[in-house]
Amino acid sequence: MSNDEIFAAAYREHYWAVSRYVARRLDGRTSEVEEVVAEVFTVAWRRRSDLPANALPWLYGVARNCLSNAIRGYGRRRRLLDKLGHDEAARGSQIVDSPDSEPPGAWVHDALARLSPADREVLRLTAWEELGVDEVAVVLGCGSRAAAMRLHRARRRLRAEIDRMRICAAPGAETPRRDTPEAHGHG
Amino acid sequence: MADELELLRHANPVPSGDPRFRDRPLDHGAERHLNQLLSARRPRRTRLVWSLATAAVAAVTALALLLAGPSTTPAVAAPGPLVPLAGSTPVSLDRLAARAETAASDGSPRLLQGTHTQSWSLSMTSGPGAERPITLPQERIVRWKADGSHTELVVATDPRHPGEPVITDEGGDPRTVEDGHVLKRQTYPPSWSDAPPQAQPPHDVGKLYAYLEELNRDGAMTTPQLLDVTTELLDHWTLGARESAALARILADAKGLRPVGEVTDRLGRRGQAYVYAETATRRMLILDPATGAVLGLETTFTKDQPEYGVEAGDVMQYSAWMR
Repeated sequence: MSNDEIFAAAYREHYWAVSRYVARRLDGRTSEVEEVVAEVFTVAWRRRSDLPANALPWLYGVARNCLSNAIRGYGRRRRLLDKLGHDEAARGSQIVDSPDSEPPGAWVHDALARLSPADREVLRLTAWEELGVDEVAVVLGCGSRAAAMRLHRARRRLRAEIDRMRICAAPGAETPRRDTPEAHGHG
Repeated sequence: MADELELLRHANPVPSGDPRFRDRPLDHGAERHLNQLLSARRPRRTRLVWSLATAAVAAVTALALLLAGPSTTPAVAAPGPLVPLAGSTPVSLDRLAARAETAASDGSPRLLQGTHTQSWSLSMTSGPGAERPITLPQERIVRWKADGSHTELVVATDPRHPGEPVITDEGGDPRTVEDGHVLKRQTYPPSWSDAPPQAQPPHDVGKLYAYLEELNRDGAMTTPQLLDVTTELLDHWTLGARESAALARILADAKGLRPVGEVTDRLGRRGQAYVYAETATRRMLILDPATGAVLGLETTFTKDQPEYGVEAGDVMQYSAWMR
């Protein structure tokens, strides 16, 4: 198969997986998702000669950069920042459950939001995209052992945040107390 | 309570069965975009095979010159953390950056695309009764050619034990292989990118900092992140004198890097060491005392991690960059 045919096959196979990846990071706003995904595949097309046999982690890596660029200021900066700020506020208003109640979605997101972007991404790739360490390494552009170590650290920090929220959730209180997030070391 | 990853899985905001994004044939918009991309293609690359073969041979030849011969005893021992030489005088990063600027005035040596790295890293098991980790020494050479193609060659080797068998976890379980055993040999067709780390790093301090910031996709550039992106940069480029001087200045401006004196690195080079303490680890950055070039970066555990069979003092990762 030519590069173009390989690219087309990867596009058809992974279009929706890449859409889910982007949607998970933009709170599923469909119109934004479609726009970013189009950008992802445009970049991937330009780099199609690099497309590996296991294309999906590589496409996630491209998507990660596109999201990052979009947020930094290539075109959609203001709109995205506005939306992200809006979503933060919206998410905050939904936090009503303590970690001991079900379902856990909202407060787990809250615990996740207290971590650094790097920690958040390695956790999301593992839990939401269900990638193995080798695939996470491809997305993050690092070695497998570095990815494993990043995941280990991020899990530990997420666990600490969850435990901290459990401590802060006073019995009978409507919401867990929202402490100012601490500065996180990279140890 | 469920483990944190399990909790996170249940909190997936867009599960794979989400009706908006579930797997299915492309919709009209996606199909149209694919057709637009395919119709915009341009013919290119007909000389590829020959150029890649040439590059591969060149890289293998270069590496063969670096490796030693037959072997007897496995080089399995983990390297201990580097220790500053007793009585050595720490040199401030600011002073070293000034030296580097002076040394870079003639612009030599020049920037090279590609890297030559010797690294040691821990391979760990996890869970109750985790085994002690093993240390995997590797040498990696990436070389780019004028046509935009490049080759990557990774071999198992430990320069502290030339010619001795080397441990690897290639393919799963740890085992020993001969010194110089090829772990990876890959050729990549011509490619381009105007984004770091593929884009050429600038030698102006402000522009290099912006380049590193672009490389850092994780929010504000803290010192650990600066060290991470420095590693990423050096895993792609062999800096010239001017880029090294700019990087030394950026490192001098970073917070928390403490000069601890002179060390001899694992390739036998003298360097000035700077330490950054983190929660459970310590980073040691080693710079050439004359040129400010980054020679190495070491991460050492400072606390036991029984879940991974790791003890305080184990070196988690060490990279030594060469020209």
